[in-house]
Amino acid sequence: MVLTATRTAVVTASILGLIPAAAFGQASPVTERIASCSTCHGEDGNSRLANVPSLAGQPEFFLLNQLVLMRDGVRMIPAMVPVVGDLTDADIQAIASHFAGREARASDEPIDANMATRGRELAKSLRCGSCHLANLQGRQQIPRLARQRIDYLIRALRDYRDGTRAGADTLMNNAVAGVSDADLGALAHYATAPQP
Amino acid sequence: MTTPSPRPLSWFIAVLVTIGAIAVRGQAPPPPGFSPIDRTNEAQSKQDATLAPHATPPIATPVDRIPLDKISLPSGFKVELYSSGHPGGRTMVMGPKGTVFMGTRQLGRVYAVVNNGGTRAARVLLQGLTQPNGLAIRDGSLYVLAINRVLRYDDIENKLDNPGMPVDMTQAFNLPTEVHHNWKYAAFGPDGKLYVQVGANCNICEVNPGIHSQIRRYNLDGSGMEIVARGVRNTVGFDWHPVTGELWFTDNGRDWIGNEGPQDELNRVVRGQEGAFYGFPYCHAEGIPDPDIRRPQPCAGVVMPAALTGPHVAALGIRFYTGTMFPQSYRNVAFIARHGSWNREQKSGFDVVVARIDGGRARIEPFMTGLLDAKANEFHGRPSYVLPLEDGSLLVSDETNGAMYRITYSAGAGR
Repeated sequence: MVLTATRTAVVTASILGLIPAAAFGQASPVTERIASCSTCHGEDGNSRLANVPSLAGQPEFFLLNQLVLMRDGVRMIPAMVPVVGDLTDADIQAIASHFAGREARASDEPIDANMATRGRELAKSLRCGSCHLANLQGRQQIPRLARQRIDYLIRALRDYRDGTRAGADTLMNNAVAGVSDADLGALAHYATAPQP
Repeated sequence: MTTPSPRPLSWFIAVLVTIGAIAVRGQAPPPPGFSPIDRTNEAQSKQDATLAPHATPPIATPVDRIPLDKISLPSGFKVELYSSGHPGGRTMVMGPKGTVFMGTRQLGRVYAVVNNGGTRAARVLLQGLTQPNGLAIRDGSLYVLAINRVLRYDDIENKLDNPGMPVDMTQAFNLPTEVHHNWKYAAFGPDGKLYVQVGANCNICEVNPGIHSQIRRYNLDGSGMEIVARGVRNTVGFDWHPVTGELWFTDNGRDWIGNEGPQDELNRVVRGQEGAFYGFPYCHAEGIPDPDIRRPQPCAGVVMPAALTGPHVAALGIRFYTGTMFPQSYRNVAFIARHGSWNREQKSGFDVVVARIDGGRARIEPFMTGLLDAKANEFHGRPSYVLPLEDGSLLVSDETNGAMYRITYSAGAGR
């Protein structure tokens, strides 16, 4: 579906920020918005809900980028639609900064040591560290994988492999093309495990 | 109940062999279009293995932080900020009434930048598309190409507030749906046909030559597809020489085999040789065989480039200059925006160069520089596309800063 510009947010060359808050009606204070994020993503940004990703310690740019893409309808996540639709650029910057500054804590899911070991070898051959860095902490537009939830990682990896999700640069689709479910699981267990 | 028709024995053998191969590898086959070959040996690259593509900010740079003062140009040329507030804006086409439409990649937006006598206003015209980089204008209609989708918005400049539903020509064009290297560049040729590219769906791999690594042309309704160039890794910029009418295109070289290339290319499609082969994936630049994808005589029958445009520089937009504002020596040169390297330890590009054409060869020389700080190995902006205006000035889009620059010339201006 193409979303035509029902917002006629006109920005002159001298005004910053593309979409003024007024175009979206009354926005609640950003602290309230952050609190509502925490309902699912965890009070400290470390999710304890299945398939809900942790936001704590993610690169600030990554969070900013994804929130804009969700708001604009490029990355469509049904559960997020009502939450992000009216965020202003300033809200998004504040939310990104907040969660980037929280400490990433280990997931409460059990980690299978054998799978993690195998995942480590796989990660080497797939060169995950090339973009996500050796300790998988992420950078800029590239997310942190270390201490992310296992179930969420498996789901994201499957979506990339099966082409039902494209990242900002489609590199992930290419990186995991043809990787088996078992191997994706091993990668997820490795990524979640505390990095040496 | 009908009995299923018997299948030949060879079919069963083929199935068994396929199942066996999958079982042995313990992997499902890759989705259509992706190749598991695309994993170059890390040791072989001799590069910093943590190089990664640069991020494109989804929020515009405030005007006072746009790096206008960094830009330098040859004597007599001046640069000014034409517009801003369109984050990620790349491709530019101008409507008959002077509206500049800009395409983006990951942000999924198309912008309309309206000229109100001296000031410009940018607005989001469309959003939620997948990488709508391909824009073309004909008879007041805006053609938007987003991967495989082809949408036509008629009378667009009178409907900027509400473009309405487009004419959807996706089925007629039948473009492949894979996203990788498949964001479009599109332009109308002198023959009135719509030219589009279909890039290689990998960094380096065997592609289906019937689908990928091509430049194609179509009639306006999507019929009559012809392949104009083959073996093209990923061109996202082309234009026609104003005198010869021949097609010239930039092409981005592969990654992960070294800092020095293979270099990006400027190519020419010789009149009467439409459909010629430009080398991908076997042969790069001026005859470099690929180390991963091999065949006997890799460069046999390959059209060599008219010029090399630099290692990993990502030469994107190219437009020939026919205006009269710039000095006579710029008549019929091509301006090329070099988006800037990521797969190179010492960054290169982040500028606009001039290609001076002499027959089938071209000479590349610097034009707009300064956005790359070579010493700090940092960049301040990424020129993506160029657009010559009717008055002879030149627009340059900067994807990183969400800005357009306008370059003018005045003989008496000096430095």
